[in-house]
Amino acid sequence: MPIRRVLIANRGEIAVRVIRTLRELDITSIAIYSEPDRVALHVLLADEAYLVGPGPAHESYLNQERVLAVAKQARADAIHPGYGFFAENAGFARACERAGIAFIGPSPDTIAALGDKLAARAAAVKAGVPVIPGSPGPVGTLDEARALGRTIGWPLMLKAAAGGGGKGMRIARAESELESAWAMARGEAQAAFGDDRVFIERAIVKPRHVEAQILADTHGNVAFLGERECSVQRRHQKLFEETPCPAFDDKTRAAFGKAACKIAKAVGYRSAGTVEFILDEDGRFYFLEVNTHLQVEHPVTELTTGLDLVAEQIRVAEGAALSFGAHPPAPRGWAMEARVIAEDPARNFMPSVGRIERVRFPQGPGVRNDAGIYRGYDVPVFYDSLLSKLVVWAEDRERARRRMLRALYEFVLEGPHHNLAFHRWLLAHPEFVAGRLSTRFIDDHFRPEALTPGGPAAEVALIAAALHAREERLRVALPNGDRSDRAGWRWSERRRTPSRPRR
Amino acid sequence: MKLWVTLEGREAEVEFSAEGDRLFLEVDGRRLEADFKRLPDGEVYSLLMEGRSHEVRVSPAAEGLEVSLEGMTLPVEVRHPLERMLRATQRAGHSGTGEVIHAPMPGMVVSYRVKPGDTVGPGEPVVVIEAMKMQNELSARRGGVVAELLVAERTSVSAGQALVRLTPGAA
Repeated sequence: MPIRRVLIANRGEIAVRVIRTLRELDITSIAIYSEPDRVALHVLLADEAYLVGPGPAHESYLNQERVLAVAKQARADAIHPGYGFFAENAGFARACERAGIAFIGPSPDTIAALGDKLAARAAAVKAGVPVIPGSPGPVGTLDEARALGRTIGWPLMLKAAAGGGGKGMRIARAESELESAWAMARGEAQAAFGDDRVFIERAIVKPRHVEAQILADTHGNVAFLGERECSVQRRHQKLFEETPCPAFDDKTRAAFGKAACKIAKAVGYRSAGTVEFILDEDGRFYFLEVNTHLQVEHPVTELTTGLDLVAEQIRVAEGAALSFGAHPPAPRGWAMEARVIAEDPARNFMPSVGRIERVRFPQGPGVRNDAGIYRGYDVPVFYDSLLSKLVVWAEDRERARRRMLRALYEFVLEGPHHNLAFHRWLLAHPEFVAGRLSTRFIDDHFRPEALTPGGPAAEVALIAAALHAREERLRVALPNGDRSDRAGWRWSERRRTPSRPRR
Repeated sequence: MKLWVTLEGREAEVEFSAEGDRLFLEVDGRRLEADFKRLPDGEVYSLLMEGRSHEVRVSPAAEGLEVSLEGMTLPVEVRHPLERMLRATQRAGHSGTGEVIHAPMPGMVVSYRVKPGDTVGPGEPVVVIEAMKMQNELSARRGGVVAELLVAERTSVSAGQALVRLTPGAA
């Protein structure tokens, strides 16, 4: 059944990403938006756009009845969920099917089976794929958790049973840390998924996070499209990805791809999916989970394979075979992705919001930038703080690294705090250059002082400050008595509003 | 024109003058010179200093100014020499004030790590707020004794809202 009209049940850069492929395929794109997203980029780029509710996600993008009502009203014949929101929601996928709308992703049963991490783990064990030792099911009480810690050994990883995206995940290095980790993991799990069940497994001390991109159709084709190294993380959320994995040799890669395909076949997977693994220091990999959706970092795989994964997903949803049938393209060269996020790396990566005062995206050979922002856009407080994904391709890792550095230098972004300088630090770090990565990379190597500009920058800043003083003409303000922890002096109000450029 | 500039924890007297598109600046006996052009989108300058090209933006910050260059920001305070004198006098009269912990962004207060009367050291966690689906611990900068929790748990707060008031510690 050909798909002619697709509703994108998402926002931000991923909605924009999907719209781009839809336009190339001459399929009508239907956006949904919340009140604060009225002028978000995905609304501006889509063919059609409909309001689904106020700012908070559960009242708009996660309002199932409303989203489905809009899909029916707009005569959508398919829904693309992107990542997050409904992407791993079997109930939503089922409701789409009942409404006669194709859900662009795996079947509701597959989502349900893999979304329950414990069931997914059981499926991996059954398929003969190694897993990390841990609790057989959700852990009921803190005392049970303590007992488990004593049997399987510290450190322990606590994970939301309904989880994903690093939310509801905490590490307890010793028994003394368990109580606080237990409360935090359950609190976050409840807030993010409405389900505070937590399971526990042994944490691997210097793990790499490596994942397999798979793509399957309903004709029996299951393809492995290469791995992605996603070890550079903070708070268990990825910041930087690359493909291939610098720690893999051909033999490991072949075994890895085979394991991923085995799991996919065991659950009758269709569409694009990601099988996540932990790689220990000895190069052994353990199954972690399956993400039943298009991954944030899918563009690196697109650059090395030359495929459009969204277009493949649509083919599969139409019931067609994958464009390459049983013979996936061999990945070529090296690709890297830097997640440009509104956050302050100098202050523990605290999320930031605000208006994009100025932006100039990098361009030139081998550069792809998937952004959801533009100049003057206000980053809303309600959603994910990902602003843009900067992706580069080159013949080998070192060339890709230099190209990424070059693109990061070109990237101008001002307004909210962001992590461009962090990425430049990362790419220049000798351990990164050597390809020695682990999910502890930031804890082990990053200090906020690393982002302090050097000597020449201070001279430039002095000049800039003097120019500012010259334009604004200093005035002495009166002491402001009630602000106990701030300087007792303020600039006059005039300088708080950005001044207009003078011609 | 003379200025007092605080940059990277150092105070310096700066003397500068401009002629057309050229700026001359003297600091610590050194002389800097820049060719400058203002660009659109706020207060953005292209600077050429001994031929080296820099692009900088000046914006107001919570305290003083922020200068952004190469994706990094430097806090800079620029003061009239007279203002600096007044400030020094005021500081002398207010040694050891307390501390107020503010919400850095809109969010929800999840829980407090302290209760009134507790002593908190510098860098110790005080309150957990949830924003953008992440829980963040806020810590005391200088520390002290908890005088007051200003917002109930599970309450939404706006950016800059005061959450906890500390009085100077006994130590």
